[in-house]
Amino acid sequence: MVKQEKASANRPDNTAFTQQRLPAWQPMLSAGIVIPGFVLIGLAFIGIGVALFVTSRGIQVLEIDYTGVEQNSPCFPCTDQNRKNCVCDVNFSIDTLFQGPVFFYYGLSNYFQNYRKYGVSKDDYQLSGDLSYFKAPSSTCSPYEYDKNNKPIVPCGSVANSMFNDTFKLFQIVNGAKKQVSLDGKGIAWWTDYNIKYRNPSVTPLKNAFNGTVKPLFWSKPAYELDLSDPANNGFINQDFLVWMRRAALPNFRKLYRRITDGDYAQGLPAGNYTLEVSYNYPVLSFGGRKKVVFSNVSWMGGKNEFLGIAYLVIGSMCVFMSIVMLIVYAKFKFPEED
Amino acid sequence: MAKESVESGLSWEVRANSHHYHKHKQKKSLLCFRWGRYADNVVRSYKYSPLTFLPLTLFEQFQRAANLYFLLMMVLQCVPVISSIPWYITIIPLFIVLTVRGIKDLANDMARRRSDSEINSRPCDVLISQSFNTAQWKDLCVGDVLRIHKDQVIPADLLLLCSSEPHSLCYVETADIDGETNLKYRQALSATHTKLTSHPSEEALAAFDGVVLCEEPNNRLYTFRGQLHWGGECHLLDNEHILLRGTVLRNTEFAYGLAIYTGADSKILRNCGKLRVKTTRTEKVFNRVVIGIVLSVLLAALFLAIGNGVFSSRVMGQMGVPSGLVVDSNPAYTGFLAFWSYIILLSPAMPIALYITFELIHTVHSLFIGWDLEMYWQQAEKPAQARNTSLSEELGQVGYLLSDKTGTLTQNRLLFRQCCIAGEIYGDASVRAEDVEPMDLNWNPYSCGGLFMSAPSLVEKLRGQQCPLSRQFLAALSLCHTVMAEWKEEAPVYQAASPDEEALVGAARELGWVFLSRTRDFIVVSELGVIRQYQLLALLDFTSKRRRMSVLVREPEGGLKLYCKGADIVILERLQKDFPYQERTEEALELFAQACLRTLCIAVRSVPEASWEQWSKTLAQSAAMATSDLDALLEKLYDQMETELQLLGVTAIEDRLQEGVPETIALLKKAGLKVWVLTGDKKETAVNIGYSCRLLDPDTRLLEWQELRQILQAPDPGVSFFKARQTELWAVDTETAGAKTAVVLTGPELAEFDQRPEWGATFMSLAEQCQSVLCCRVTPGQKADIVTLVRKHTTSITMSIGDGANDVNMIKTAHVGVGLAGVEGGQAVQNADFALSQFRFLQRLLLVHGRWSYRRISLFLRYFLFKTCGFALVHVWFGCFNGFSAQSLYETWFIALYTVFYTATPVMCLAFFEQDVSAESSLKWPELYMTGQRHELSSPLMLSLSLLYAVYSSLVLFFIPFGVFYNTAFDYQTMAVTVSMAATFTATFEIMLLTKYWTKFSLAALCVSVVMFFICTRITHNKRLFEREPYEYNFIGVSDKAFIDPVVWLTALLTSWTAVLPSMTALALNVILTSHDKHKVHSVSHQPVALNSRFRRGTPLRRSSYALSQGAGPGRLITSGTCIRSTAPPMDEKVTASNNSTDSQVQIHIKDNNNSLNGT
Repeated sequence: MVKQEKASANRPDNTAFTQQRLPAWQPMLSAGIVIPGFVLIGLAFIGIGVALFVTSRGIQVLEIDYTGVEQNSPCFPCTDQNRKNCVCDVNFSIDTLFQGPVFFYYGLSNYFQNYRKYGVSKDDYQLSGDLSYFKAPSSTCSPYEYDKNNKPIVPCGSVANSMFNDTFKLFQIVNGAKKQVSLDGKGIAWWTDYNIKYRNPSVTPLKNAFNGTVKPLFWSKPAYELDLSDPANNGFINQDFLVWMRRAALPNFRKLYRRITDGDYAQGLPAGNYTLEVSYNYPVLSFGGRKKVVFSNVSWMGGKNEFLGIAYLVIGSMCVFMSIVMLIVYAKFKFPEED
Repeated sequence: MAKESVESGLSWEVRANSHHYHKHKQKKSLLCFRWGRYADNVVRSYKYSPLTFLPLTLFEQFQRAANLYFLLMMVLQCVPVISSIPWYITIIPLFIVLTVRGIKDLANDMARRRSDSEINSRPCDVLISQSFNTAQWKDLCVGDVLRIHKDQVIPADLLLLCSSEPHSLCYVETADIDGETNLKYRQALSATHTKLTSHPSEEALAAFDGVVLCEEPNNRLYTFRGQLHWGGECHLLDNEHILLRGTVLRNTEFAYGLAIYTGADSKILRNCGKLRVKTTRTEKVFNRVVIGIVLSVLLAALFLAIGNGVFSSRVMGQMGVPSGLVVDSNPAYTGFLAFWSYIILLSPAMPIALYITFELIHTVHSLFIGWDLEMYWQQAEKPAQARNTSLSEELGQVGYLLSDKTGTLTQNRLLFRQCCIAGEIYGDASVRAEDVEPMDLNWNPYSCGGLFMSAPSLVEKLRGQQCPLSRQFLAALSLCHTVMAEWKEEAPVYQAASPDEEALVGAARELGWVFLSRTRDFIVVSELGVIRQYQLLALLDFTSKRRRMSVLVREPEGGLKLYCKGADIVILERLQKDFPYQERTEEALELFAQACLRTLCIAVRSVPEASWEQWSKTLAQSAAMATSDLDALLEKLYDQMETELQLLGVTAIEDRLQEGVPETIALLKKAGLKVWVLTGDKKETAVNIGYSCRLLDPDTRLLEWQELRQILQAPDPGVSFFKARQTELWAVDTETAGAKTAVVLTGPELAEFDQRPEWGATFMSLAEQCQSVLCCRVTPGQKADIVTLVRKHTTSITMSIGDGANDVNMIKTAHVGVGLAGVEGGQAVQNADFALSQFRFLQRLLLVHGRWSYRRISLFLRYFLFKTCGFALVHVWFGCFNGFSAQSLYETWFIALYTVFYTATPVMCLAFFEQDVSAESSLKWPELYMTGQRHELSSPLMLSLSLLYAVYSSLVLFFIPFGVFYNTAFDYQTMAVTVSMAATFTATFEIMLLTKYWTKFSLAALCVSVVMFFICTRITHNKRLFEREPYEYNFIGVSDKAFIDPVVWLTALLTSWTAVLPSMTALALNVILTSHDKHKVHSVSHQPVALNSRFRRGTPLRRSSYALSQGAGPGRLITSGTCIRSTAPPMDEKVTASNNSTDSQVQIHIKDNNNSLNGT
């Protein structure tokens, strides 16, 4: 026996692997599994779809376009490019209590923040507070790298340059008087953006770090003076700046502006008339864009999203429909003689 | 003189013993310059030298469109302006691919070098200054005189000068050239024989200064034209004086030869064909698809680039400062840049990883073939071997199997299995030869085994002197033949030109009638111990036309007897009328035919002295006439003698098939393969083997050349063929009629195809309807031509299988070449793509490994296309919503890792382990193989469908997340992660649907891949990496948020489910429509393929043949005494014919044989 084994050095190993006899599970699908399977999956999808749809229905959304395209719209005068510091009031009313916490977004449409060359036009080293890149911004920022006098722009690049600079104040009209709704601008940016991705240079005061640089061409204030009310909310870690720097996926998008979480409006916006005081700076008409503000409350699934629920319902129903078709085919195929 | 020779085409000049003269003119080459005339005797099958390896391998590799494409991608990615993904994503895999390929090629080349040097360094004896020195084959040069030892392989094409045997005869085995294993004799010119053997041979040979003028090197194995100019005389040379390279010297102590063609000029190497690189059909189809993909990518990129230009120009005209949409130059230029960026961005649709994986899968499949114990041959300790690792899926699509006969289908052993004497049948053919109980033959001192027939009753009768017929029968066997006896260790060893005869004489020896020796005039036989000497009066030799041979002997008692053996039809019509046992003999013939035994009828006739005298006179006269129709005259005379015969019996010889051949062929036929036999052997033998290995059914109608030619020439070959089939009475059903026809062709007939190329297509369409095609007497070159014919006129995959050097060309020519390693490893294996030890392993190689491999690779390719295209094409749709700016929808790391880490292992497991049905079921249900023959799984249509499916899934992958994220606060990076997740899930779902055979590896691979996605994503979104390389790891923190967001999960789930829904539905419908079929395959036990045609109703056509070497038998050598060693100095052949009758007979034989030899 031993001799025999010795003699056959060429003999292949007799293992399950080499002989391709690995133990395996071979699912034996049959109509009895497939059709009910389809029905079950379809039903599950329909279930999810219903849940999403119902949840989505429960979310209140108020969307107000304030671009001012129409002549009678309140912001129409501000669309004149020559007007500086134009302020317009947009009035709206709420019929029922707008459940809190209310999220306050601004929205842009036909705005391609996902354009590649736009997206890459920033300097990550500079934005993480590396002072050497203050002097010589990365070439990726082109053409917003240096100004006409060849001074470095900080923050450089198109994304920063095109930062949204409309500001909003919300008032409730209570007995004819304006009552300001306090807006919470803290924590609207991502935690990682605020704490890791974007850092101010460790220079105090912050202003000194920006010596020898210029602000982006489009900006009215330098980066270290973005929020005069809160010194900590300046430079690259300004919340609005961070929100803007997080590029949108698609040409129609919203970005979180403020949250209404404290004070009298913590429970939501009560029914009544409101005025939105818009400081209108951001030009969008030149490229056919639109600006809007959106008030929305959120659920477990975030903001209102009817598409997802409907899509689930459609696909779920398709599965159920398919299983019926299969059943018919199966019946025809199985008992052909009975026809 | 030389001028004349040149004019007659004899321009190849060889001067004996002038090494330096020829050495000087040897072919040499430097770079691309070549000069010189004579090839050296070195085999060079390698491609690379250390210097040329790198440039050559790179050149070869970049000839593949894919590699060039990847190189272009890499270059593009190095240009920062357009680089939408980083350069290292392509260069690393490309580098790996090039290195792996290069190393593989190098290893193959080294193996070739090794085998070359093994051949080149074989020893041979070369005459150098009056003595023979051992040299190596590679040192040989045209004009050298060589000494060949017994059993030595001949190193070059030689002119036989003389040999150690009488008359300078020598025997060669040409198995490697034409597949015939019987010995052939070659004889030197009498001039060289007499002058070179008279002295001590070295001296005489060293002084030999003849000049040979002959044809230029060519590939015609059976012809040779030349002249030897020596001593002022000119001698004509023909094929009989030539020893071909690759043949083996047998039964001859020494032979001396002059090298005429060496190395690449030798006839066998001229027949070898070129080494060609084989690519599989699937790969070709796939390459076309790849080109299609590349073109579509270019087109898509073009459209997107135009879109980009338009977008830029629109935006540029209107945009104010605030817009971030930087357009810093003219739109045409941005569009141009976007074009290249999109090409880069869409290039993952055709990833290089595909090629790496493809290669890997092929290698593993090859390993599986080598590992298979069922294809391991215990006796030779040889496993199967895949020498070419990239053809495994081709094994699953073979439509035509072109097989050699000798050594492949048959073992070349002929066994005497049965006989019928006086209507009594002895032996039983239904018992396997190995299982036959050996008879007790101790009483016979000459018995040395080898009789696979058990017939004690016959032995009893013989020894008991009861039955004179059986005694005569055996006497006939021991007398009527052309076998030589050589005495070795007290026992006669038989040398026969025909293996049939050897078997018959051997059987007679075992049964007590021992052929002891022969001289020119006498045959000595020991009959049950009594030595008797018969005088040989005449030998009426075999020709393929006569199909019989006879001997006329004078018995020791003085009587004249004619013993005759031959094909049944020929003998039966020459018998006395109303011979006894007629019915029972015919029954026996039928029975033997059913058992696929080769039969011969043995008959005897007592010749009256008077008629003999008259006959011999007439014979002598007609021989003297020497007219042109001597042949016909002789035949008539022979006919006169072979009449009024008395039937003694019938012999039945089994031509041993290789183990399991009939079963294998039956199985392969069931699997839809067309099996053709291409052999250098005779037609009779080939047809007989065709029947015995179940290639032809007993009632198969053979369509021979004359008929076929008429059909081919007819205006409408199809109709003529149909008619030809219908001429048979039994052909009631046209369907079966078609299946029951086989074409039999021979080499010379095939040559006509060269002149009529238009017949090829017609012939193939006819052959398609036939059961089989047998091609006999074909040269290696013709074998390859037939393969080419099949390749050209059908879309099927061809496979050649053979074992000898004569099969090398067809092995190289076919899509897949299989070499049988058999007992001795041969040239065939060296050149084959797959090496097997046994023909029957073909079942498993094709039906199991081939089928699995084809299925696995097709699934793999389709899946790979689906997953990569589906994933990459998303960018086209995304382009419409980002200003056609070549923005990637994925993180670059995801693009890099998707094909490698997230989706690679499950599909590899699929390609390694997938089995739709088990090996046993594959063999039980050969019909399953037809899927591959129809190329169903890898057809362009299927691949296009996969692409279409990929397009669909890319649409889903983009538009569902688009719908969800449109007009929301979700950012680009979250969407990127969502789509990535959906893409990974889609690929995972799809592979789950495809996998039918879940091994632990498949399951692990699947889980690991999905987990890898989450882990790697988390890693690349990690804080540390970001701090190190902010540009590369820009997605910091995205997965933290995305992986806990229910919307992301729900979107990914919905997307991937919707993406695989068509595949899921197709699968479900397939299950519903075919459920019971599959069930059958899986569960119902089924009898293995039974050879149900073994005994069937009706009268099978009897087959009887007398297989001798091509052309005529060696009768003249016997009657001339040339090859009889025991005789005293041979008589001069040129004695006048009137001397005695035997001598006239000699003359006639010489003539007869020369004619028939020239005729073939």
